[in-house]
Amino acid sequence: MGNQMTEMLKGTLVGIVLATLAGRPAYGYEITARLREQGFTDLVEGTVYALLVRIEQKGFVDVEKVPSEKGPPRKVYSLNAQGRDQLNEFWRTWTFLSERIEQLQHPNDDHQHEGA
Amino acid sequence: MAAKWIEALTGSLEQKKQYKQDKARIDALPEPYTRAANAMHRYLMYAGGVTDGDTLSTMFTDLADLWERAAIDRTPVRDIVGDDPVEFAETFASAYSGKRWIDKERARLTKAMDEASGADGKEAGA
Repeated sequence: MGNQMTEMLKGTLVGIVLATLAGRPAYGYEITARLREQGFTDLVEGTVYALLVRIEQKGFVDVEKVPSEKGPPRKVYSLNAQGRDQLNEFWRTWTFLSERIEQLQHPNDDHQHEGA
Repeated sequence: MAAKWIEALTGSLEQKKQYKQDKARIDALPEPYTRAANAMHRYLMYAGGVTDGDTLSTMFTDLADLWERAAIDRTPVRDIVGDDPVEFAETFASAYSGKRWIDKERARLTKAMDEASGADGKEAGA
């Protein structure tokens, strides 16, 4: 991933992973694979793993160990109530940020917001 | 500093056992995973900055889980660590919110700045 992309993603990747889990529970590699399909092609599995460790430590997910065809059981992560709160907070923040940034890019299209 | 961590580990027999088990799992991995996992293990011991034994044991168990899974799935090492292994290890370590040696210095800096800026009600130069 380009350097700027990597830097910008850093602050949002937790939210992206929580959003991915909002649909249905998944294990680490599934999450990476889904995100890659959605265009995060250079995302490495370890990055997602490290994030999952973090959101588990913070209590945003419940973890269930599910037997796998080979090797030790896989950890399946599902969003819990605390994680949903965190995700809502992420979307609020994201909406605010993206509106501001859009405004910076197209300052003249935005008269309707003046005085708001 | 390493002595302190080992002390933290030897503090509890359960932690010591856990640590040994996790290290054994890492050593039992096939190449190149054992090399990659041990390199990370070493780095986390020195630079992870975690001083409490519980957190350290959880971290090493997760490390063993990570590399065991990678070995079974034959995930290439680069797909785990990315272009910058140091950053990867730092991100991994930062997930653990146990006591870190830097916490004391952070508290000291915060306190000094509170005093210097008058947040304690008496700015020195004001």
